Amino acid sequence: MARDVAIVSFAQTPSTHGVTETESQLLFPVIAEAIERSGIPRRDIGFTCSGSADYLAGASFAFVGNLEATGAWPPISESHVEMDGAWALYEAWVRLQHGDVDTALVFSSGISSRGDMREVLCLQNDPYYLMPLWADHVSLAALQARALLDTGKVTEADLAEVAARSRRAATGNPMAQVAGDVTAEAMSAEPYVVAPLRAGDCPPVSDAAAAMVLVAGDRAREVCERPAWIRGIDHRIEPHYPGVRDLTTSRSTRLAAEHVGVGDAPVEVAELSATFSHEELILRDALDLAGDVEVNPSGGALAANPLMVTGLIRIGEAFRQIHEHGRTRTLGHATSGPCLQQNLVCVLEGDR
Amino acid sequence: MAEAPQEEGGPVRFMKQHIALDYKVHVSPLAARFGEQLRGGQIVGSRCPRCGLVYVPTRAFCPMCTVAMGERDEAPLPDRGTVTSFTILTPIQYHGQKEREDYALASILIDGADGTVGQQRLSDIPLDKIRMGMRVEAVWAPEDERAGDPGDRGYGFGNALRGWRPTGEPDVAADEFAEHVL
Ligand SMILES: [Zn+2]
Repeated sequence: MARDVAIVSFAQTPSTHGVTETESQLLFPVIAEAIERSGIPRRDIGFTCSGSADYLAGASFAFVGNLEATGAWPPISESHVEMDGAWALYEAWVRLQHGDVDTALVFSSGISSRGDMREVLCLQNDPYYLMPLWADHVSLAALQARALLDTGKVTEADLAEVAARSRRAATGNPMAQVAGDVTAEAMSAEPYVVAPLRAGDCPPVSDAAAAMVLVAGDRAREVCERPAWIRGIDHRIEPHYPGVRDLTTSRSTRLAAEHVGVGDAPVEVAELSATFSHEELILRDALDLAGDVEVNPSGGALAANPLMVTGLIRIGEAFRQIHEHGRTRTLGHATSGPCLQQNLVCVLEGDR
Repeated sequence: MAEAPQEEGGPVRFMKQHIALDYKVHVSPLAARFGEQLRGGQIVGSRCPRCGLVYVPTRAFCPMCTVAMGERDEAPLPDRGTVTSFTILTPIQYHGQKEREDYALASILIDGADGTVGQQRLSDIPLDKIRMGMRVEAVWAPEDERAGDPGDRGYGFGNALRGWRPTGEPDVAADEFAEHVL
């Protein structure tokens, strides 16, 4: 029986391209805002976990400097994942299950604009077959999209529909980077980046930071008017080499969804880290989402894709749907690796 | 490094893989201002308005108090200090290595600052005569050679300083800088 843990606050910077601040400077006000909104004094936070990647910063041990933004003196209990902040959230949730601490700070940051992501992300491939080919993540995603189209279940027009809907939804999100009142026809008219993916099917290169505070048990209700309880959180991994997977489905997402009971009750909103438009179609299918589920009202990862932050923002947006908009059951999803290799699913519930 | 032995027609045991990633890092407004002041020959730190600790180079916030710091918290500092720790480096000849002779890098506690500046080059002294507690002064690059870009990571003085050399003052006793060694 898992211990009840809730998200009580969330803060994020707008996603932009080419920030001049350092990562710790980006994080400093965001962490302060999340702590301020939580009502938990900074010194009362029992555990801190962060997510970032030194390959984005272009400097080894860059993540250590980010800790300065937490005020880590006197010494704090702290950990880091070289992953999206959604996995830092997972570690913090596990840490709270131990029962000896009741509060946790989770934060993540990513300045993707400093490097060429199509080069940097090559290095996540295996070093023998794919890395020497410089098989970049957009090209691999295009192979996945092609495989999906070849099943005959979806068409390029479906991809354009996802791309257009994401941009339209993002017009209501001041934190988003790419927004506009565009049609699927307009998206279909854009040139291919890597066929069959067009510009609108691919995410922007984004810089951002985000932070959230978790509280266990009744204290969550004391400090927060409407906390979002983590009803289930699970992550699963598929083989590293994309050539040995069926790229047209996401078995890891399906498995994670089963473990957290996504289908046990209706989901009102799903925030999915679909960083390419075809990924949304694969994820909807793997999650068995009903037709009336609102997907990515924030605009999703196609509207802003700060690597290492995108997944944490999805869960933060799912939290806001409960905390600010009165929903009762939402879902946040994060992904990592090429072609949806790793997937994390988090179900949140508000008090009824 | 010598070429790894590999038999003609035998199984592949090694493969070369040269990887280079290019990054374009913007100089943060804070670091740009620090660099501008260095170009003018002035080292500047930040004094926390809450705890009073002086950091050098300047910082956007005090990491101890999580209080924002700005221009009003700037603390001009002298170009003198004390070696609190040092390392003698023997350069290995890897690709891109430009150093050929042994050299010394030191942590310098600038007078009036509470934190050291790391990896500072020492000059004008035989390597076996360097010691902790030694008093040093900055060796400035000629004004027209101060590229003055200290980068955005706040670790050093870019091209403005060539390094630090002994002043000849008496050494500082160890207990006076024991809290500022790293
Ligand atoms: Zn302070």
